[in-house]
Amino acid sequence: MQKKLTYTYFILIALTLAGAVLASFSVSKTIVAAIVVFSIIKFLTVAFQFMELKDAHIFWKILLTFYVCVLGGIMIILL
Amino acid sequence: MSLSNINKKSIYYPPGGILIWIVIYLELITFGMAIAALAFYGAQERAIFHEHSQMLNKTIATINTVFLLTGGFFAAKAMHYFKEGLYEKTNRFLLWAIFSGLGFLGLKLVEYYQKLEAGLDMNYSSFFMNYWLLTAFHWLHVLVGIVILFFIRRAIQKKKQNASLEDMEAGTAFWHMCDIIWLLLFPILYLLF
Repeated sequence: MQKKLTYTYFILIALTLAGAVLASFSVSKTIVAAIVVFSIIKFLTVAFQFMELKDAHIFWKILLTFYVCVLGGIMIILL
Repeated sequence: MSLSNINKKSIYYPPGGILIWIVIYLELITFGMAIAALAFYGAQERAIFHEHSQMLNKTIATINTVFLLTGGFFAAKAMHYFKEGLYEKTNRFLLWAIFSGLGFLGLKLVEYYQKLEAGLDMNYSSFFMNYWLLTAFHWLHVLVGIVILFFIRRAIQKKKQNASLEDMEAGTAFWHMCDIIWLLLFPILYLLF
């Protein structure tokens, strides 16, 4: 459990830095999609691992996953 | 310290209880609508939004993201130790989570000061109106999260019998909500335009 939290934390930091580095290149549709996907992964990782949503009823998991995927989809389509 | 046997798989008991999750979803919907609106207007005025987004300090925002993720990590560790009945370690990690949050708030104030010095206030453009409204609203949430963690920590310190698992879960759930909202605000304001 302890190690899992630590690994999760370092993955989150790595994705944050990767997103920031990607954004320093000229923003194209692919880069926008990659940054949004990184954000969705980070969002779900915090929710499932840190908020312990992984132990909750599937309804709550689906609701939050649906929310972030819809919002991420809107960002990718519009930007 | 009450560590009651709660059925976590029950639809009526997400971590922290159903009430905090209703609050979390309402907050997510509110911020989500604002983010969708920002993306919509950004797509219409792409050049202006790009230019104004470049005026933001990406380094400060990235460090702030690290602050919030670190605070979330400490809160998760505190939750872990609380369940194991290790209350001194719980309090230590809650304190570090509070410090991470204070780091976020302080650095954000530095960023706000720089923007105001440069005349980039709410009236500067629609991008900056969104920037100020979204980040200031989020800043207040982090402040509330710090206050909640502070009181949970004090309850554990002073009256161990009265600190319930549900209080701890609800408090840390609110704290993590601040994280996940920022994880959506950070790319849309600082990286995507």
